Amino acid sequence: MDQMIQQVLSATGQTIVMVFFSTIFSLVLGLPIGVLLHVTGKESEGGIIPSPVFNNVLSRIVNVLRSFPFIILLIVLIPLSRLIVGTSIGTKAAIVPLSIAAAPFVARIIESALKEVDPGVIQAAKAMGSTNWQLVYKVLIPEAMPSLMSGLTLTIINLIGYSAMAGTIGGGGLGDLAIRYGYQRFRPSYLVAAVIVLLVMVELIQVIGDRLVKRMMAKR
Amino acid sequence: MRITLKNLKRDYGSLHAVQDVSLSIPDNTIYGIIGRSGAGKSTLVRLVSMLEKPDAGEVWYDDERVDGLEGKDLISRRRRIGMIFQNFNLFSSRDAAGNIAYPMEICGMDKEHIKARVDELLGLVGLEGRGNAPISTLSGGQKQRVAIARALACKPDILFCDEATSALDPQTTRSILALIKELQAKMNLTVVMITHQMEVVRDACERVAVLDAGRVVEEGMVSDVFANPRSEVTKDFLSNLTNVKDSIVRWSTEGGRFTLRFRGGTTDEPIISIISNEIGAVFNIRAAGVQEVGGEELGVMVTDIGPDEQHVRIALEMLKKHGVSVEGE
Repeated sequence: MDQMIQQVLSATGQTIVMVFFSTIFSLVLGLPIGVLLHVTGKESEGGIIPSPVFNNVLSRIVNVLRSFPFIILLIVLIPLSRLIVGTSIGTKAAIVPLSIAAAPFVARIIESALKEVDPGVIQAAKAMGSTNWQLVYKVLIPEAMPSLMSGLTLTIINLIGYSAMAGTIGGGGLGDLAIRYGYQRFRPSYLVAAVIVLLVMVELIQVIGDRLVKRMMAKR
Repeated sequence: MRITLKNLKRDYGSLHAVQDVSLSIPDNTIYGIIGRSGAGKSTLVRLVSMLEKPDAGEVWYDDERVDGLEGKDLISRRRRIGMIFQNFNLFSSRDAAGNIAYPMEICGMDKEHIKARVDELLGLVGLEGRGNAPISTLSGGQKQRVAIARALACKPDILFCDEATSALDPQTTRSILALIKELQAKMNLTVVMITHQMEVVRDACERVAVLDAGRVVEEGMVSDVFANPRSEVTKDFLSNLTNVKDSIVRWSTEGGRFTLRFRGGTTDEPIISIISNEIGAVFNIRAAGVQEVGGEELGVMVTDIGPDEQHVRIALEMLKKHGVSVEGE
């Protein structure tokens, strides 16, 4: 029993590390792509510097990456992980494919959040003499903040799910524990414990995310 | 600031939104541009306010040509105009004060200066102490006041109003127009008002251009245009106006083939009686009243003339000779 608690705790720690860092890195990668997707879009949809060709190409790339099954991506990206973190197995190595898998998802979430901003507001800010950069960081992003926050919540929850597959490359974490001990070694208590912790994590993230969005909306 | 438009043109595919518009908007005035929806008003204001480039033609602010500005020049010129909109277009992520501060922030003004100016502007538009109010808690009129304060924050020389009162009720419309008039005089602004409401032109503008199918069909002093409308569109706008205006009393809903408009001096003369006595024409007056337009009195009368077509013809000739404009021939 004690041993199980130990193992669940350490797997929880690994999951948190994986999810935390891959959230940050997928944001770093996905935010600029999402912003680019939006600002190069049609002016009637709130685009700032419409460039249909660029927008189309970028959009296709994002779609291709999104349709890649994660389990395949994990394996395909082994050389990249080795290049970046020096190893292709373990929690650290899993962060690389997790971030890359989530980045296009984040980009789409950010794009759709920015699309919700009233194009009229952008036009007003433009007429006042905002630079494109100012339009993005002083208008678009603050205006879209509540939607961006719910998008972030969704991303984290998705990454918790993805991280369960990281066991394939020895990434550890709760999913790995559930499969290796719970399923393969016929120890259902491990399975139940891992699932409960995952459930609690997801619920917690959702509640915190919703609260933050609510608080933002209350100030508007 | 004087605005001059020369042969402006803008097409969207096969739609000729603006075709060959030339206008001269004098300095320090409130200039109305009226048209039905689809007449090209919104495109025109986007061209004049540098939000869009014309396919052909020129836009001048005083002696500076602005239609071809790019990059930094464009941005710095935009910072010296103000613009307000039908839907206010305020930032929901900022409170009232934050909205007003925005144009000053993007110019890199220092915080102390901005704060003082925001308070001053809140006072100017009658919203003292409401700086911390979230935008969603403000009424339509208050939102437009915040938008006006925001538009005037950087002391522009031009204010564009794109259907600025169309989303407001009549009473709020009047108070917003009064505010714009007051600020125009105080700041020597050139105000360009795009609207589809003749009431707005009547209550606020000195000059007006009537736009139809992308062209200017009529232009002049508001009092002249009201007294003597030449285009069908203008007449249409005016007839809607006469029907809703409460200073016109209508005691018969039938008949009323002719609409006569008497201006200034002619309102004091008994023209109808003179004609009636001289040629024996009979007037069956259905509605009448006096409107004040651009500071000038304008009499409106809806009437039938009899007893026969010959009398009608002579009566109309005499009316015109007396400076009365006639509609309905």
